[in-house]
Amino acid sequence: MTKALSFLLVDDDSDDTSLFKEVLEEVNSSIIFNSAEDGQQAIQFLKSRTNELPDVIFLDLNMPKMGGKECLTQIKKDEHLHKIPVIMYTTSSQSKDIEETMQKGAICFITKPTNIKELKNILASIAGSVHNNLEKTLRNLSNTINTFMVC
Amino acid sequence: MILIVDDKPENLFSLKTLLQLNLYDVDTAASGEEALKKILKIEYELIILDVQMPGMDGYEVAEIITGYSKSKDIPIIFLSAVNIDKRFITKGYTSGGVDYVTKPFDPDLLLLKIKTFSKLYRQTKELNDIKNNLEQKVEERTAELKQANKNLEASNAELQQYAFIASHDLQEPLRKIITFTRIIEERFLENTPEVKEYLDKIISSSVRMRTLINDLLNYSRISIEPVFVFANLTNLINQALADLEVSILEKKAHFQINNLPVIEVVPEQITQVFQNIISNALKFSKKDIEPVITITGELVQRKSAESKPAVNGNYCRITITDNGIGFDEMYIEKIFSMFQRLHGKAEYKGTGIGLSIAKKIIENHNGIITAKSKENEGSTFIIVLPVKQTAAQAKAPVN
Repeated sequence: MTKALSFLLVDDDSDDTSLFKEVLEEVNSSIIFNSAEDGQQAIQFLKSRTNELPDVIFLDLNMPKMGGKECLTQIKKDEHLHKIPVIMYTTSSQSKDIEETMQKGAICFITKPTNIKELKNILASIAGSVHNNLEKTLRNLSNTINTFMVC
Repeated sequence: MILIVDDKPENLFSLKTLLQLNLYDVDTAASGEEALKKILKIEYELIILDVQMPGMDGYEVAEIITGYSKSKDIPIIFLSAVNIDKRFITKGYTSGGVDYVTKPFDPDLLLLKIKTFSKLYRQTKELNDIKNNLEQKVEERTAELKQANKNLEASNAELQQYAFIASHDLQEPLRKIITFTRIIEERFLENTPEVKEYLDKIISSSVRMRTLINDLLNYSRISIEPVFVFANLTNLINQALADLEVSILEKKAHFQINNLPVIEVVPEQITQVFQNIISNALKFSKKDIEPVITITGELVQRKSAESKPAVNGNYCRITITDNGIGFDEMYIEKIFSMFQRLHGKAEYKGTGIGLSIAKKIIENHNGIITAKSKENEGSTFIIVLPVKQTAAQAKAPVN
């Protein structure tokens, strides 16, 4: 039996978090969903779950206490966590943010879509290729959908 | 008040009487030393100085008077019975006298001289007062201006920050309006088209608002210290075309670009200008006619749209011509102002800020932008930019 996938969303916005959770359920109800409200909470969560680490981390940028950039740095520094693919999932579309986060090791930068169909599409694609060329799938996806994505 | 200095009382008396008869205030001193003491305390408009005196002679007294800052401008007339040799007269002038009169003197002429020199002295004093007054006023004004400038700079920085934060914070709730309205449409209203129609209006207004906020943000960002580098204009145009790829394919537009020179610009900003103008050319193309857009560049003599081409000109003129719907030239001012549109929102989409952003960028580059057009006969946009930005130009802030 294949182990169920697990996603972690780090975002301080409760509306976006509920939406993400809802859409993810529609895409694949077997995917385990966890969320954290800021970078600090996320790191704490990850450190307490070394045997059940998420398969993908979705990281927002602007959060209180510890923001996305700092959290990303910490994840990539940690010997247990650095292998987990991190996708920036934020309202920003600024090139400064894109450059910095890609440099720090994020595999993709996605500006939160306002279209639910697109969010579904994105999550479905990611769920289907987590262990199977995730980066390539994301790159192809960025060319076909309207949502702003950089891989 | 006039001071007469003479060691002989009869001379003092006669001269004093003469002057008083002519309504002058007169003071006397019997020696150089006495004269100097009085000069320290009283301001005289003229001094009549006898040359031959025991103790200090007239020349010595004069030298001291002219050396003292408070009295240095007071006219001194030397009176002398002897010493009418040229060298004595010369000595009189060089020790600070303005005139040298020999005895016996003509009282009428002496009075005329006194009158003239007094007047001159008073005028000189007046001028000095005015000068000092002016200098002080200029200093005050400069300080005021400097302060006003500082205040303006601070206010400017504040406004830019404000625009940036406002636009950021405004985007957030807007995004949610769009997202959740779309969810309502998709999930619950598949079968009620009228309700969907109303919601579509909400969504399109919100999207429009988001574009407006973005445009405002971009506009407010333009004045930040420009960093000029030499760039190939053809490359910048190609970049703009790449960004407009979808639209170009859709409209089946054709481009004719002749080789443009390398000039000193802020590359992203000039690319933006090209993008805005070309985007308009595509948008305002004639229905069912494929847009043809020609872009040429050449060096010209002066910063003017009509300037003659010149092989080593200091300016570059860029011309962008299209075969679109054109516009009436009487609206030329309007098209470059913010948010002014010549067509209804329904006919042609857009916020109307593209050309005003282009204008601001061109002004930031110390250039000019204008356009020529006739309704139904296409438009030509003309940009003239300096080839090189001097250090002074590069630093000059543009509102």
